[in-house]
Amino acid sequence: MRTSRLRLPALRTPLTVALAAILLAFVVAPFAHAAPPKRIVALTPFSANTLAGLGVRPLAIGQTLGGKHRFASNLRGVKALTLSHPNGPNMEELALLDPQLVLSSPTWAKGAKTMRDLDIKVVDADPENVADAVEQTKRIGRLVGKADGAATLAKRLKRQVAAARRGVRKRPRTLVVLGVGRTPFVMLPNSWGGDIVDKAGARLVTGGVTSRSGFARISDETILEANPDVIIAIPHANASDIPAVAKFLRSNPAWKDSKAVRNGRLHVSTDNSLLQANTDVADVIRKVRRAYLKN
Amino acid sequence: MPVIVRRTAVVVGLAAAAVAGVAASLAFGAVDIPLRTVIDALTGAADPGPLRQIVLDLRLPRTVEAVAVGAGLGIAGALLQGALGNPLASPDVIGVTGGAGFGAVLILIVLPGSIALLPVGALFFGLLAAALVFAIAWAGPNAGGVGRLILAGIAVAALFGAGTTSILVAYPDRVQSALFFIAGGLTSDGWSDLEVVWPYFAVGFALAIGLARPLDRLALGDDVAASLGARPRLVRLVAGIGAALLAAAAASLAGLLGFLGLVVPHAVRLASGTSSHTFVVPVSALGGSALLLAGDTLARTVKAPIELPVGPFMVVIGVPLFLFLLRRAI
Repeated sequence: MRTSRLRLPALRTPLTVALAAILLAFVVAPFAHAAPPKRIVALTPFSANTLAGLGVRPLAIGQTLGGKHRFASNLRGVKALTLSHPNGPNMEELALLDPQLVLSSPTWAKGAKTMRDLDIKVVDADPENVADAVEQTKRIGRLVGKADGAATLAKRLKRQVAAARRGVRKRPRTLVVLGVGRTPFVMLPNSWGGDIVDKAGARLVTGGVTSRSGFARISDETILEANPDVIIAIPHANASDIPAVAKFLRSNPAWKDSKAVRNGRLHVSTDNSLLQANTDVADVIRKVRRAYLKN
Repeated sequence: MPVIVRRTAVVVGLAAAAVAGVAASLAFGAVDIPLRTVIDALTGAADPGPLRQIVLDLRLPRTVEAVAVGAGLGIAGALLQGALGNPLASPDVIGVTGGAGFGAVLILIVLPGSIALLPVGALFFGLLAAALVFAIAWAGPNAGGVGRLILAGIAVAALFGAGTTSILVAYPDRVQSALFFIAGGLTSDGWSDLEVVWPYFAVGFALAIGLARPLDRLALGDDVAASLGARPRLVRLVAGIGAALLAAAAASLAGLLGFLGLVVPHAVRLASGTSSHTFVVPVSALGGSALLLAGDTLARTVKAPIELPVGPFMVVIGVPLFLFLLRRAI
């Protein structure tokens, strides 16, 4: 008994220190893990430009084959990873970069699975619509430890979009068409391009169709019946094939009697601003208003 | 040339091609890795780091997949051609390819958030299609007959083909993500997909081993085979199940590569001068593996870092060889 009484105080100090150390480890460990990643790969133009806006230089950015994505000037010189289906980047090239974080999109879901198997953190951060662009900006900021900067960027984006939408005088009935080969699909409000054109003040012609994909093949009869004021056609093809698809869409005989074609208001958008989300949302809305909707 | 010499030459040639294919598949890729580092990584002597990871987590599982898929499709074709007594038989005939294509496109396009289910989806629908074909073929008059099985296969393949096309039409912006699977090709997916499908390969290979002699009896005709103690309809059913397991597992890893299952067993028969299944089944496995390893290595290095579908490359390699053998044989 005496011995144990003597030992207890002696034991108490190291025991307390050990317990305190364990507790401290539990408290500190999450923060240690939460250190913002330094080695980042941005596979989408939106995430690359958001990083650039936050002053973060990624290890590499994604570039689709023949793509003409609009990148910020301070991303010049950053390694470009060629993206192709089904994985997106070449996994060997990506593994060689040893990234901590990859900002991806659902398009590269198959590759994301492999990246996770390689112990790389992968986050889909490509907005589906204009409102989501604001949210994804904040999300990217939180992921890279620049939450305050991202909040400022998001506020600015919101303000710019509101300014770009201001003063709409006319709301023309507009058909937005995605041309895949020779088959046109109508872009609905839940597609990136449909949402942009809607925000630019158009009334979208959809034939009453809804689709989870944001696209639908609707009958030319329905289009003629709806008789849109404006048709915006967006070719979806390799860069080298776009002129041919654009030419076909411009001369589509099914639409020749529509109000839009008769009034010379069938426009072909040959850049990818209505297909691929980017940070210049307000500029794209302004361009749609100025060049296509004239409102 | 005596048959035994021809057979030996075919086995030695294909074995050498397969070994060379494995070596090339491990040594070449989008990133140049010194051969010494590749060997060190394989023997556990390499330092941890990206190069070791590329060899062990990307190239090695892909090489194993190429061997398994090539062997699986070669055997599936040999089993079906033997069981149906039809030189045009391939995994397409029993609906597996159509079903697997539907399952994969469903996950890739409609449920991209559940991409981890891709091999399971392809495998499930591939086997479901085959089960439907067998259920139709083994019901009603002339149950288990070759004609009934082939017609049921055509109908079920058309059904799943229509489903696949409907999905592609409904999601035009996502079609690209499915084209690679439809064209057929391996991807660097690590070990996770193989962990899902290896039991199906194992059962398929085991059935194939047991079926070689019964299929030789079946080649004499149903009546003669029955008089020798074989049960032709049962043999046909088990061969169909084995082929379905192998073809569905192969499709879940490498997409739709039906050409391989059709051509490789023919090439083996034409080159060796024998139709004995005890020879054709295992050697088709060797030939399928060698062809797919060569095609896949070309597909991922010729335009690196872009990876091309392997289907067209296998056709480029396989068709001239096949036509040469065909010209000599006829």
